[in-house]
Amino acid sequence: MWRTDQAGAREFTLGKESWAAAARAALDCPRFAADVDEEMVDDERSCYNCRYRRWSAASFTCQGF
Amino acid sequence: MRILLAIDDTDNLESRGTGAIATLIAEGMQQKGWGTASFITRHQLLVHPDIPYTSHNSAMCFVAEIGAGCLDQVIAFASDFLDHECAEGSDPGLCVAVLDRMASAPELIAFGQRAKLEVISMPEAFALAGRLGVHLSEHGGTGQGVIGALAGAGLRLWGNDGRMKGSLEIAGPGVLLRVADLLQHPNVEAVRCVQGGVVGEDDLVEMGEKPKTVMRDGASVLLVSAAKLDGGAVSWRTLPRKELRGY
Repeated sequence: MWRTDQAGAREFTLGKESWAAAARAALDCPRFAADVDEEMVDDERSCYNCRYRRWSAASFTCQGF
Repeated sequence: MRILLAIDDTDNLESRGTGAIATLIAEGMQQKGWGTASFITRHQLLVHPDIPYTSHNSAMCFVAEIGAGCLDQVIAFASDFLDHECAEGSDPGLCVAVLDRMASAPELIAFGQRAKLEVISMPEAFALAGRLGVHLSEHGGTGQGVIGALAGAGLRLWGNDGRMKGSLEIAGPGVLLRVADLLQHPNVEAVRCVQGGVVGEDDLVEMGEKPKTVMRDGASVLLVSAAKLDGGAVSWRTLPRKELRGY
């Protein structure tokens, strides 16, 4: 689910449409923090909604760790 | 006079968002009696390794009707606000465009469309703003936010990009409302089926979590998709957030 990209960032390998996996990943994450409302893309707790995710062309990297 | 006011790159990972800053500018402008502002729209710009952005690269824009002599005050107020209220490490930009003074609306729109697809430089943004007679200013950091601010104004002017900041405060999830009643809301100018079906004024719409409008054909449009009620009657439902991500 995660890999380290060329810049050393923690990248989510499942892209932008793996809603269930992104929700599962956020469930137990101690660093999860909901982003501001206008940047949320799901109605549940999810890495896709976290203020520490940084979108990339294909997926996102996690800036929480 | 009618203006577009757009901002970009005002936040960092821990701060309030650019949308909150736009809200405060709109509210401050109204409190001072300079004019009234519309709802705010969020516009997604290109996500690319060569573009510095905090986490999503989106710009915020609103339309305002202001008094004829208030333009300089509005620009000064918004500039001062960005100078003092933006987050550490951010690179804020401000764009204020007077609609009936702009040299070429199509050029501003084209710039916004390009900013969704290409990396654009600051000098190019300033050159276009100068040519069009549009205010564009940087307010700290690298000032890179001027590109997104100018693009945000262009995309709002285009009227086919962006979704509203916040949500319609109209009814809770699960409530059924007639389309005609939805159209009474000041921020709902049309209700349309996302798949292209015909939505009648007497049709029912089941409200979802935090419904939002999107900009289409210059209007604030509540998109719906087909749904079946318990009794089998066809009705509509608002789109969940994940289905609005592309707007």
